[in-house]
Amino acid sequence: MNKFRRAILWAALAAIVALTVLSIYGAFIGADRAQAFFNRVPLAVYWVFFAALLAVGIAVFRRLVRVPGLLMMHAGCVLILVGGMWGSKLGHDLQKRLFGIEKVREGRMVIYEGTSENRIVVDDAGREFETLPFSLKLNDFRIEYYQPANLYIETRQGERLKVPVELDKEFAVGEGLGTAKVVRTFENFKMGKEDGENVFYDDPNVGSNPALEVQVTQADGQVATKYIFEKFPGHSHGQDAFLMNYRRTISDYISEIEIVENDKVVGAKDVEVNHPLHFGGYHFYQSSYDDKAGRYTVLSVHADTGLYVVYAGYWLLCLGIIWHLWLRHVLAKMKSKSA
Amino acid sequence: MEIKFTLQGLLVYLTIAAYLSAFVVTMLRRARTGHLLYLMGFAFAVVAYGYRWVHVRHVPLQNLFEVFLCLGMIYPVSLFSRRVLRVGGYAADMLIGAIVLFPAGFVFHAEPQQLPPALQSWLFTPHVAVYMFSYIFMAKATVQAVWQLAGKNPEHDRNLLEPEQATYRLICVGFPLLTLGLILGSYWGKKAWGDYWGWDPKELWSLVSWLVYVAYFHFRYMFGKRRARTNSLLAILGMAAIIITLLWVNLSRLFPGLHSYAT
Ligand code: HEM
Repeated sequence: MNKFRRAILWAALAAIVALTVLSIYGAFIGADRAQAFFNRVPLAVYWVFFAALLAVGIAVFRRLVRVPGLLMMHAGCVLILVGGMWGSKLGHDLQKRLFGIEKVREGRMVIYEGTSENRIVVDDAGREFETLPFSLKLNDFRIEYYQPANLYIETRQGERLKVPVELDKEFAVGEGLGTAKVVRTFENFKMGKEDGENVFYDDPNVGSNPALEVQVTQADGQVATKYIFEKFPGHSHGQDAFLMNYRRTISDYISEIEIVENDKVVGAKDVEVNHPLHFGGYHFYQSSYDDKAGRYTVLSVHADTGLYVVYAGYWLLCLGIIWHLWLRHVLAKMKSKSA
Repeated sequence: MEIKFTLQGLLVYLTIAAYLSAFVVTMLRRARTGHLLYLMGFAFAVVAYGYRWVHVRHVPLQNLFEVFLCLGMIYPVSLFSRRVLRVGGYAADMLIGAIVLFPAGFVFHAEPQQLPPALQSWLFTPHVAVYMFSYIFMAKATVQAVWQLAGKNPEHDRNLLEPEQATYRLICVGFPLLTLGLILGSYWGKKAWGDYWGWDPKELWSLVSWLVYVAYFHFRYMFGKRRARTNSLLAILGMAAIIITLLWVNLSRLFPGLHSYAT
């Protein structure tokens, strides 16, 4: 190996060790500060240097071109670095300055049910906006729960019971405590007065107060009705022999979105966790919601700049490594066996 | 930490006990008995996994309990290493088997759990499973590297590679899995949160582990076996980074922490 190549390899080793040390430092300072740190200008210089080093390596080591696996994995790394830099904050600034490309890198959208929105909030305080060339309309936001929901019972003796909520199904609470059954469920429990009597009803208007109506039949035959509220757990009276809690586990958050461009609906998708919407160079993710009344959804918005270059790099890297370290040898073995 | 008073739990504990006694007996130079116990442990592990399969009625690879249960059937890895890779280390494998089953026995819940929305993805299981598989090979590589550093080769078998080469070969098998785990995780991050790289400590440590092995490959390419001790040291450092990756944000805090939705 000549001196020049040796120097390149030493530089590569140094660059790899440097990134290792920087990553350890980044792990200590937490995600937010690490992100800021790795996007600073001196680090940008490092990323460019690393990518260039890989390119030079491919240029000067003939084996890196001739051996397909080696070429694929090193070229894959170059693509990942280039794609990552292109899609970074500095990358977006540069594109704006050099080519006049105005693309918002990231932000969030707050969309109320039944309305359209084309503004992206780009600061933490929610005061700075950028606009998209299209709008998103939220038809409905909903939360889905695992079925069945559960009623949790704890007796004064500390016995615990978990009962799936099924209407009118009687179950024993515990020794000497009688039986109980759920007779009604509420999404938005409200109380009112009718002819001087308390009435309880499920209010279809905005709001959320999930509850259960439970009929308890004590051992001596006395019947009592209890209301158990999901949002007010642990609520009990002094005379109660046991405590009841109503709990549901969220299985999904869903925003029913329509894409509106020039007053025409051009697409629709239910945006769920792990199922973002991809349109017009952006990904839209289910991120948060109005936890008081469920009137609006919050989608986080990410530009897809450079993403497919990174993905191409991932494929090359994976295929290259698997080919070079595994398949090549398996194939050779199979050939030598059949020969 | 919880003990499972179920048939499933009993099977896991029997497997761990068999593996541990296999290890001890092998250390006491009763290789044949040790091997028999290892096989017995493997049989328990297969029964435990088969029982789970019948019990849940789907391929049991859908949560971490099941993944670790699967890895507990480590014997084929030992066999594959010896026959195909020509790498020994049975005794160490018995210990690795017991360690791998520990989370299944004492940490993860066996009852099917209701996954939070962010973890409901087909990527969850392959991402974890691929990582765990690579960790097994890297652990085996570490054992060989330690032998190399100690200047010992406990298995005098002409059919087996000497420790320095064995380390390299095992890392060659484990590294593609490590890469796959990193990339699957990154791709999932993009799908679930919008960024393929979030700079959080877990991600950065997994990158560190990966980079240490990249450094290993290049250092070994530059110096070959002339700097065998440094090669071994890098292999051990890689495993150290893996262990830190696993423990840094321990699993119980990982799910409600940064890696979760809507907190
Ligand atoms: C920074 C610039 C880099 C340079 C100049 C470089 C150069 C080289 C060279 C010359 C080889 C030896 C090829 C041979 O067997 O003849 C090699 C091997 C290798 N490189 Fe790189 N490399 C760099 C970065 C990377 C990175 C980031 C990765 C991550 C995937 C990587 C992964 C590998 C692997 C896995 C091998 C194979 C080792 C083996 O077969 O034992 N390299 N590299």
